[in-house]
Amino acid sequence: MSEFTNIQASVSRQFKVPADLPKVIFSDPDIYREELQRIFYGKYWHPVAHRAELTELHSFKTAWLGEVPLLIHRGGDDVVRVFINSCAHRGALLEQRACGKAQEFECPYHRWLFDEKGCFRGAPGRKDFRPDFRDEDYGLRSVRVEEFRGLIFVTMSEHTVSLSEFLGDASQPISDAMLDDGRLTLLGYQRVIYQANWKIYIDNDPYHAPLLHSAFRLLDWQGGAGKLVTTDPEGHMCILYQVQPYKDNGFLKDPSVVEFKGTDDRARVIALRPVTGITKHIDTINVRFARPLGPDSTEVHYAFFGHESDDEEYAKHRVRQASNLLGPSGFISIEDAAIYNRVHATSGDRGYQHFVKGVGKERAEWTQNDEVSNTVWWAHYRSVMGFDKA
Amino acid sequence: MDTVAAVDKLFARYAAVLDAGKVAAWAELFDEDSSYAVYCAADDERGLPLAYMLDDCLARIMDRVKFVDEVWRGTVEPYRTRHIFQRTELESVGEETLRAESNVLVAYTGKNDVSGLLCSGRTEDIIRIRDGEALFKERKILLDGTPSRYLVYPI
Repeated sequence: MSEFTNIQASVSRQFKVPADLPKVIFSDPDIYREELQRIFYGKYWHPVAHRAELTELHSFKTAWLGEVPLLIHRGGDDVVRVFINSCAHRGALLEQRACGKAQEFECPYHRWLFDEKGCFRGAPGRKDFRPDFRDEDYGLRSVRVEEFRGLIFVTMSEHTVSLSEFLGDASQPISDAMLDDGRLTLLGYQRVIYQANWKIYIDNDPYHAPLLHSAFRLLDWQGGAGKLVTTDPEGHMCILYQVQPYKDNGFLKDPSVVEFKGTDDRARVIALRPVTGITKHIDTINVRFARPLGPDSTEVHYAFFGHESDDEEYAKHRVRQASNLLGPSGFISIEDAAIYNRVHATSGDRGYQHFVKGVGKERAEWTQNDEVSNTVWWAHYRSVMGFDKA
Repeated sequence: MDTVAAVDKLFARYAAVLDAGKVAAWAELFDEDSSYAVYCAADDERGLPLAYMLDDCLARIMDRVKFVDEVWRGTVEPYRTRHIFQRTELESVGEETLRAESNVLVAYTGKNDVSGLLCSGRTEDIIRIRDGEALFKERKILLDGTPSRYLVYPI
């Protein structure tokens, strides 16, 4: 009997309903290892880049899916391919730069060469290789790729449903956040490591009550009137609302940083399961690429974008706002950051987290600030991990 | 006081007030038309304009003080810091104006935690001397990598 089987039985006895979460699921290392297999390498699509990060033909970016290194490359044929970033020979990390341009990749260890389609192209000493060596058996391993509005998704499973089926009703809010055509420009990144389990991060990032935000009160921002969309079975959660113009109440000496200067007043906050946050708020466009580093730690790359049509003044405004508002040290989002860590800090106390607001209401009556909306995901998680077998 | 001594005093004061948690006093080390920004060095080299903190006028610097002192105090996890600056460049670039560069290391300690390195990087500064006193006109901080935790206070 595996270590996970033991903890699975124990958790199943505690995890009776999706609204009451046994905290052990946030701290147990065997559960984390199993999550990598069932979720990160399972039947899910994971956003790993946006085309705006691959600005030219032959551009590449490296990233991680769980513990799997990825090489994301835009070929000369404008096709984005994603490979396991590991030499097919002895497994050295093939490309160690975060980004760049390349038409071929050479491993420094034994000088094996791969083209941008991942094919083996040669190596010193080729004539002495094992008799059954065939070039076609030693290409880079590739993973399934699909794109939506410039977002590049990968899945490690051959059995994952199509991307459009996976996204379901979350497609439209994501399309809105990508400004319909996905023709975004990269403004840059804010990178952070939270001392929190990946599920705590995504459970508390896109959705949380505005009560958390002291800044909302001081800036007279109180939401709650937005439309809520949740999908089955994964429980993607989307909040749709309209940007409200900032009314200067004198709190800020420079209110320009929070002003809405665009014309597209669609605001979107999306929790894309399992672990990606996507937001379009005021004039910021943000994809939060998250990666678990273990049961107790999550790395998030906040990638902020503009649009190809932005004029110089608007682009500058986007940079000011993105740099100061909704990143890990942003005026608003820093309070979220604190909560991830503070929630995780108690995950070893053998207790429970509870959802209460809106629980018991019909789904059609759920509102933006009802925390019940997260329970669709938790019902799915409970099933996928086999915690519903008590 | 000579120019170098004034700059040394500014750097020392900068570290001292931040490490004492006196963010309002930190803001007083900036001139009237000043700016303060924290970037990732690798992204800056790529020409990406996004920052971790971007205060491109004194009003924004003053607003940052307000958030640290008034808005976030009850929510964020506080930490102590020790800022170590080592100046690597100092040259005159105009009347009463200097350009400086320095390396920076910041250690941090949460409540009852083990101390650790919050971040490393370097600074690019424009400094003005007025009546013998040095103030920052521009302070640009370029971080070498990902900070060990989310940043609450200016660096």
